[in-house]
Amino acid sequence: MPLLDFLNFYLVPGIVLGSIYAVGAIGITLVFGILRFAHFAHGDMATLGAFIALALVAGGMDPWTALPVAMAATAVVAIGVDKAFYDYLKARPKIVTVMASLGVALMLRSVVQVVWGVDPRTYATGIVRPDSYFGILLRPRELYTLASVVLIVVGLALFLRHSKWGKAMRAMSDNPDLARLSGVDNRKVTMLTWAIVGALCAASGFMLGINTELHSMMGWQLLLPMFAAAIVGGVGRVEGAVLGGLVVGIAEELSIFILPAQYKAATAFALLLLILLVRPRGLLNGKVL
Amino acid sequence: MPLLDMKDVRGGYGDADILQGVSITVAEREIVVIVGPNGAGKSTAMKAVFGLLNVRGGAIVFDGEDITGWAPNRIVQRGVCYVPQVDNVFREMTVHENFEMGAFLRGGDLSAAYDRVYGLFPDLKAKRRNLAGDLSGGQRQMVAMGRALMLDPKLLLLDEPTAGLSPKYMEQIFQITRDVRDAGVSILLVEQHAKQALAFCDRGYVLATGANRHEGTGQALLADREVAEMFLGG
Amino acid sequence: MDLLGLANYAVFMAILIGIYALLALGLNIQWGFTGLFNAGIAGFFAIGAYTSAILTSLPAAHRLGGFELPMVLGWVAAMLVAAAIAWPIGKICLRFRSDYLAIATIGIAEIIRLVIRTEGWLTGGVRGITGIPRPFGELPYMQSQLAFLAIVVVLVLLAYMLVERQVNAPWGRMMRAIRDNENAAAAMGKRVADRRLQAFVFGSALMGLAGALFVHFNRSITPEAIDPMIATFLIWIMLILGGSGNNRGAILGAAAIWIIWSVSELLTDRLPTEVAIQAKYARVFIIGLTLQLVLRFRPEGIVPERQAGAASSRR
Repeated sequence: MPLLDFLNFYLVPGIVLGSIYAVGAIGITLVFGILRFAHFAHGDMATLGAFIALALVAGGMDPWTALPVAMAATAVVAIGVDKAFYDYLKARPKIVTVMASLGVALMLRSVVQVVWGVDPRTYATGIVRPDSYFGILLRPRELYTLASVVLIVVGLALFLRHSKWGKAMRAMSDNPDLARLSGVDNRKVTMLTWAIVGALCAASGFMLGINTELHSMMGWQLLLPMFAAAIVGGVGRVEGAVLGGLVVGIAEELSIFILPAQYKAATAFALLLLILLVRPRGLLNGKVL
Repeated sequence: MPLLDMKDVRGGYGDADILQGVSITVAEREIVVIVGPNGAGKSTAMKAVFGLLNVRGGAIVFDGEDITGWAPNRIVQRGVCYVPQVDNVFREMTVHENFEMGAFLRGGDLSAAYDRVYGLFPDLKAKRRNLAGDLSGGQRQMVAMGRALMLDPKLLLLDEPTAGLSPKYMEQIFQITRDVRDAGVSILLVEQHAKQALAFCDRGYVLATGANRHEGTGQALLADREVAEMFLGG
Repeated sequence: MDLLGLANYAVFMAILIGIYALLALGLNIQWGFTGLFNAGIAGFFAIGAYTSAILTSLPAAHRLGGFELPMVLGWVAAMLVAAAIAWPIGKICLRFRSDYLAIATIGIAEIIRLVIRTEGWLTGGVRGITGIPRPFGELPYMQSQLAFLAIVVVLVLLAYMLVERQVNAPWGRMMRAIRDNENAAAAMGKRVADRRLQAFVFGSALMGLAGALFVHFNRSITPEAIDPMIATFLIWIMLILGGSGNNRGAILGAAAIWIIWSVSELLTDRLPTEVAIQAKYARVFIIGLTLQLVLRFRPEGIVPERQAGAASSRR
């Protein structure tokens, strides 16, 4: 196969898909690392965010303008979900919160199904031809997706690295007892984390939606690759989630060479088991709960 | 009047009292060490000062104010900092960021605080961008102490700072503790290495089964036959 | 509905409750007594269903199988295959906190769903499998239903007694002690690790058996018959509401939730079409909300776990 074909039909789609996974996986890794539980409502929160953006687009907004608004709205939803369903479980074993998040997943999904139905939807209709950049074919939406992901990741990394509350989040993930001894307010960090996680959910849902289509199960189908990405990269590591997302996304696209196309979704699962078997801390040496 | 005055304190983590009446005082610019056999309640007594215990009797007065039952973050702001025995640094943050987290509650210009801490731990200046988790055990202990000193406390609580360190580092930590005292900070520490600790402290307390057993200057305690039998084992 | 119709419906419900009770008992072994989070119950159920269906059904042109083996063999095979899938998953994931097991079981359920849809030569694909025999299926309808109910009841009782015996043995005490300490899992010895794996495998085998019973009751199976998320979640809410850690609670929860679930379905089916579809999803919302309310206000369930000694309190 010519190199360009390989790039255009496998690698580029893999990178686009992988960056979408990465944005979701960052959220999972933040909840896993800071709040210390596996958040199973993550995918369905992404669905909700995607559909909030759809409502804005239906109201006449440009999709890429709707994205930040939907991110903000989903951030509020995430804080609300935490206050309503997770917060009061914090004194109990963390696995109880995992269970509650499974219930929240179901609830968020049924909200989407009641409000928007179960038929597939799109932000914009019509076929868009890709432009050629030195032989590499990219559609505008793919370009915007990659740019947005870079913006989100760099922005988040700068925030975590240099801002006071970003450092507080890292400290809470690193050593919660010591963070409390240092005077970090756990409630504020929790709220901030959910705001960021909600926004990231909406971004990943939106970007999956604009590159494929929206449907009520889209987030649930994102859940496994996103978790695989977070664990492959190393739990608690933002740069790990990005790496893991790309690994899973590209691996899914390349799996077609060895597996029937229907089993694309099995790639994430195989990677997950493999990493748990040989290197449970992930590629970048994260946490193991 | 002593800086810290802990009077006949009783309490524990749950319902059972681990402390059966412990009294400890720390004066300004004084190093006070708590020693005692395993399970004597040494660390527990220190945690009581820092508000990590249910105190059911007695009183803890710090700098003229009754702080019994205060939450730790309030005690921190009052001028008491605590260095836990284990997990006392942010391993995935740099040395400098660890110090920064120490000053989390304090706004404004921190350059004087950094200068002071790097002055006390000159070795760390070159490693300020290294991750704390990559440092040696002794240097990690310095980071932990430095983090606690960032708030410019009047009293520093150290829980077994030399546990697991080589004799060389132990001596170094003791020396730094003296330097910190000379910089105007009082220190209360719990030590497993009773002999060495009593030799270097200003005053010491020997606890047993959650209550005071002996007290006096380090030298006096070292000379005490009963204390000697307790630790130096006949 | 006349009296006979009502009786028919009651027997029909009782059979399904029995099947769900088996699932809830399987989950109780895993979660209730051992603290293992299985989020792929539907997968093990489907594996059991398809295994027994392939082995015992009549031959068909479009797929492999139709071996017409005795049903009991199908049931045993259903348990064995479910156990064989659970074993490697447990082996890899039980070293970590239960979050990882939950993720992996969600994954395995998805894979099982993919395989069932894709491998038409084995599972009949979307057409599914028909011509599955039913024990005493040649009897008149009511007798056949009652006979099937008897089989289900016997199996539930058997599972119940087996689990009770284990739980009251030193095994059960050990499991509860570990379950209540999240961090102990990493530090435990090999013997304990083996026991946890056994609990996971055996619980999954029971779920496989429940799948086999379901498929012989239904006489056919298609991929649509099992909605992975909802099926799994129903079992969870049955166990949590009934009383996790209590086998009688598990059975009671299965009965209560299944009755509520099916009656609410009867009600929503009577609504006008547009509303009915929305009501169907709203029903799922309410199930999710119920879990939150139980977790918040009655985490011990209707029938709390019996306190064997003071140590096993589980706020």
